[in-house]
Amino acid sequence: MAARWSSENVVVEFRDAQATAMSVDCLGSHAVLSGRRFLYLVNLESPSEPSRKIGRQSKWDVGTVQWNPHRSEAHVFAASSNQRVDLYSWRDGCGEAHTSLQGHTRVISDLDWSWFEPEFLVTSSVDTYIYIWDTRDTRKPTLALSAVAGASQVKWNKKNQNLLASSHDGDVRIWDKRKPNTAAEYVAAHLSKIHGLDWHPDSEFIFATSSQDNSVRFWDYRQPRKYLNILSCQVPVWKARYTPFSNGLVTVMVPQLRRENSLLLWSTLDLNSPVHAFVGHDDVVLEFQWRPQKEGSKDYQLVTWSRDQTLRIWRVDPQLQKLCVSDVQEDLMDGMSLTTESEKPLSSQESEGQQSGGPASESLQDQDSSLSAGGLQDSAAGSGLAQTLQQEFSLVNLQIRNVNVEMDALNHSCVVSAHFGSHQVHLVVKFPAQYPNNAAPTFQFVSPTTIPSAMKTKIQKILRDTSLQKVKRNQNCLEPCVRQLVSCLESDMTQEDSPASGPFVLSNPVTPSLQAFPRVTNTYGSYQDANIPFPRTSGARFCGTGCLVYFTRPTTMHRSVPPTEPTPRSLSALSAYHSGVLTPMKMRSESQSTLRLYSGSPTRSDKDTVSISSFYYKERLPISASRRWSVQTLHDWPKSRRFKTKREGTDYGNRPIKLAGKVIIQEISCLLPVHKTLGENYILNMNDIQETCQKNAAAALAVGRRDVAKVWALASAATNQDLSPDSDPDMETPWARHPFGRHLLETLLDHYSQISDVQTLAMLCSVFKAQAPPPDSYTLFGHHTSRSSVFPPHHARYPSYTSSSVTSGSCSSTSDSITTTTWNSGRDSEHANPWGESSPDDYRYVNQGYTDPREREREQHEMNKRLLDPANTLQFDDFKKCYGEILYRWGLRDKRAEVLKFASCPPEPHKGIEFGVYCCHCRSQARGTQCAVCKRLTFQCAICHVAVRGSSNFCLSCGHGGHTSHMMDWFRRQDECPAGCGCHCLLQSTF
Amino acid sequence: MVSVINTVDTSHEDMIHDAQMDYYGTRLATCSSDRTVKIFDVRNGGQILVADLRGHEGPVWQVAWAHPMFGNILASCSYDRKVIIWKEENGSWDKMYEYTGHESSVNSVCWGPYEFGLILACGSSDGAISLLTFTGDQQWDVKKISNAHTIGCNAVSWAPAIVPGSLIDQPSGQKPNYVKRFVSGGCDNLVKLWKEEDGQWKEDQKLEAHSDWVRDVGWAPSIGLPTSTIASCSQDGRVFIWTCDDPAGNTWTAKLLHKFNDVVWHVSWSITGNILAVSGGDNKVTLWKESMDGQWACISDVRDERINMLDIWTENKTPTMMKPGL
Repeated sequence: MAARWSSENVVVEFRDAQATAMSVDCLGSHAVLSGRRFLYLVNLESPSEPSRKIGRQSKWDVGTVQWNPHRSEAHVFAASSNQRVDLYSWRDGCGEAHTSLQGHTRVISDLDWSWFEPEFLVTSSVDTYIYIWDTRDTRKPTLALSAVAGASQVKWNKKNQNLLASSHDGDVRIWDKRKPNTAAEYVAAHLSKIHGLDWHPDSEFIFATSSQDNSVRFWDYRQPRKYLNILSCQVPVWKARYTPFSNGLVTVMVPQLRRENSLLLWSTLDLNSPVHAFVGHDDVVLEFQWRPQKEGSKDYQLVTWSRDQTLRIWRVDPQLQKLCVSDVQEDLMDGMSLTTESEKPLSSQESEGQQSGGPASESLQDQDSSLSAGGLQDSAAGSGLAQTLQQEFSLVNLQIRNVNVEMDALNHSCVVSAHFGSHQVHLVVKFPAQYPNNAAPTFQFVSPTTIPSAMKTKIQKILRDTSLQKVKRNQNCLEPCVRQLVSCLESDMTQEDSPASGPFVLSNPVTPSLQAFPRVTNTYGSYQDANIPFPRTSGARFCGTGCLVYFTRPTTMHRSVPPTEPTPRSLSALSAYHSGVLTPMKMRSESQSTLRLYSGSPTRSDKDTVSISSFYYKERLPISASRRWSVQTLHDWPKSRRFKTKREGTDYGNRPIKLAGKVIIQEISCLLPVHKTLGENYILNMNDIQETCQKNAAAALAVGRRDVAKVWALASAATNQDLSPDSDPDMETPWARHPFGRHLLETLLDHYSQISDVQTLAMLCSVFKAQAPPPDSYTLFGHHTSRSSVFPPHHARYPSYTSSSVTSGSCSSTSDSITTTTWNSGRDSEHANPWGESSPDDYRYVNQGYTDPREREREQHEMNKRLLDPANTLQFDDFKKCYGEILYRWGLRDKRAEVLKFASCPPEPHKGIEFGVYCCHCRSQARGTQCAVCKRLTFQCAICHVAVRGSSNFCLSCGHGGHTSHMMDWFRRQDECPAGCGCHCLLQSTF
Repeated sequence: MVSVINTVDTSHEDMIHDAQMDYYGTRLATCSSDRTVKIFDVRNGGQILVADLRGHEGPVWQVAWAHPMFGNILASCSYDRKVIIWKEENGSWDKMYEYTGHESSVNSVCWGPYEFGLILACGSSDGAISLLTFTGDQQWDVKKISNAHTIGCNAVSWAPAIVPGSLIDQPSGQKPNYVKRFVSGGCDNLVKLWKEEDGQWKEDQKLEAHSDWVRDVGWAPSIGLPTSTIASCSQDGRVFIWTCDDPAGNTWTAKLLHKFNDVVWHVSWSITGNILAVSGGDNKVTLWKESMDGQWACISDVRDERINMLDIWTENKTPTMMKPGL
């Protein structure tokens, strides 16, 4: 089924066209699309280039548009609009309406240029008249044929210049323009309205009619009582037209139905099943026309216009053409090489073309047609069911290993026989009359089934569920059921055969592809599966730091893509399996031929149900099969492909087909702004910033980054000792405030941000951080110079404040110039002491409480001194982290550590700390100073033995403590705990 | 110098759908329609098959390496509706977890930034996005965003843990509170941004510009700048670059990078986020770079011979790379 690829060469979307009609000119160079406001002229040689427009002013849609089929008048086309026909001429990229033909009194239903006289045009209308116009005299029609009934179609005979045919409801009239008074012949062709009428391209007598009554009939007007042949469909047929090559016919469905968007190609010699479906349009096809064959080309091109507002061009190559000519059987059997193949169709075409005067009559299939014609309207009736079943049978793809399905549409049943290992299964499936409209078939095991009864029951349940699921949506269920059956059997048998095999080991490693897929396919049809995107078959990905990994299709599969050729968007385009593209059409074929037709070589069929590669490689199958595949797929390939096919054609059989391309890893680090060499050579010596800058400048120069080398020179200058800021805010404006200070650095950082040079960014940030160790709270411990003298003991004013050594450790408080380890030496021992604080509400950052303008100024000065704007510290940290990550990927872990040393490490967000105490009276846990249970104060001072109400301190190690002032006094002189527990509180509490 | 440093013959039996190297660039994982995932050691230009992972029952669409701090872990997703997480232990690769919670093909997997732990986002054709979080002890917590994209989700990509815009305005002294965010693209032609709030995933933004299925999305890595960038590509052949300077992440502006003639399947950012690799149905790769004035230009142009290497694998001998600025 995968063979039913959309095979269009070209898809062009004309989103705003809203065109109702389309026509291709006789040179094959232009198509005209007629919308209500504009006529669009599409250059078929390069359809994607913007189309030219001809404006039109009419409130009516264009009914029919047609180019003059004569080369001498190839620039003229006629478009009908309500009661009028406008003649346009199109020359040199410009077009205009030059004449109007007015005569009809009701809407014009069809028009047709004569095949013999370039000036003659026939129009039909619901006003019951058929007018023949000579475009040299446009005042009135030269001839009027009165038909009494309104006409829907009118067509000139292609062989006899005097003959024309018109359709009126279900009748066809044949006119001879020399005898205009009355029709030459009446053909009561259909019971319902005729939508389409087409003369045989090579026969004067034969034409085809397509009708609302779900059939296409073929007629010889000399025998008006009996059709030559009938093609029965399950939906009304909009148009059925002969192909320019022999014995082909293309049909489309009635647009109003919106059920079936594909065009079907039939062989008039064998109307059992279509030979090809042109699948691709998302909406109904409004018009299709053949593009005249190019000189020297054996291909025909079908141009289609659909309501989905796309114009598509489909290539029909000789092999597909040949399908309409020769017998399917013979085609499969012979194994000729492609070289001879491609020439063969031509000759056979010609010879058959000669005798195609009445070949259709030979293939008349009376029995078949009467049977199907009888049961057309009533699909629930017996014959209707038989048709549905036959259609399903013809479409199922059941080439599964070890499984045989005998289908009997007349008895509404089929027998599935399968053997797996030592087991045999025979299952009779009976289809009820309403199937598949919410009526599930029954499943019954018959002898010689050998599986245990427990398993039978299990399988029966699974099958029932599967079928119900399908028929609820009026979908066919045979194939899903059979696949389900197979997967059940397979999994069970596998378990029996090799209980040891783990879940990853495939039951049959030799042919894994045949084993595993059915289990997937049984569900391949849920509504969600229709939208699985078409898989990537090539792609590129940046990996690591400087690699680009890409995988592609193998060169043998490579498509030299015509620019407009699209790749399908969904995987379901691979196969018509799930969507039932063909289901509205009735196919009365034997299943055998259809199976062969769609499944290619038997060995691949199973996999082909959803293999993506089939989209690309089919022409590389062994010849005998490839020819059948190629029907659907070769259209896309440019001529160079053919050459390849020929050249390599001989050794297909013994050469494995390579489906996976190579994966290429490419070094692209030269395109990146970061350099591994620089990562290795950069140094960060905080003790000698000058040297660091100079060495880094040299390193940058060595890799060719002259810009960065200059930046390092600048950095060297900016970090010069002479420029180091004075600690006194009153002395001078710090260098950072100078235009060449912070501003210059910011400009540099901006620049390197723009080119994403995170290496330079991180290094600059690190160096300038090292140069001016900021006094903020996040700097790493150890960079503090002893600035205690600079800072007045401002905490003294906040007696309740205690910097909590628990909360933030030794590098905690912002302005705490000395660490807690040396708290004894601090002049202000209070805020540095290790004692916890019992009223944590008081905890806050110091700098929130400044009141002294001098402090603020000093703080401001601290900020101003720095070349790196402290406001952006976090961003600078991100640079370093990112660069650190890159260094890590390079394996330069020491360098990473060096850089990350300069990243500030923000403390964990403070969640607040509360100390709980056990009440000294009732031993219950208490928070705060008062016990919730006994309502007494919970904590006694170790020195005065009085309950502590206000500020208290206690040792975190032994838990003793008391009034803050008492503790202060005690520890000025003592080391051990005042409670006499022997705890060295000062040492113990220091973490 | 742009140069091919390795050409790996994967010996896959069917078409390859993804290839990705691990964090250090030492190993290559590939996946294919032949239902296998293969891992190669590609150090020093070699190609040693390390593992041939079988377990999927359909074509495998994508693979994703987790951050090495969690060990050697690889996730793969397949047409068979499964996501399998593979882990190497003592030199052998085994299934660590198999997730079967999707009702259609799983099209994309992407590991979150390591800061969030081991967390995997999976986008499926059933329209849902699953988030699998490793909670230790072989346990995976599953959160599912149902109907994230009607008809189907085709791609997911995580935001870097450093979400710059939101950082700068935070009160200093507090550790930034990273918000888990990712972007997804789907068959509804939309690009959607998702954000975790109070443990729940919520749709944050909906970006409209594409006229056909969105095939891939890529959130650019951050180097600490206050701009978030996302690339998206679509069946319609268009590649858009979305940027957001707004710290709240609410205003995204789209810029058309280029309109290609065929479907664009994949976008990938370089580590510094300044080069975008674009690949699609035309079997070509183009590299794009933003110039100083904010224009995107194709840099894999014929004029630069060194970069021309990119073209060697396209069959036509005359490279037809995109001209910049088209």
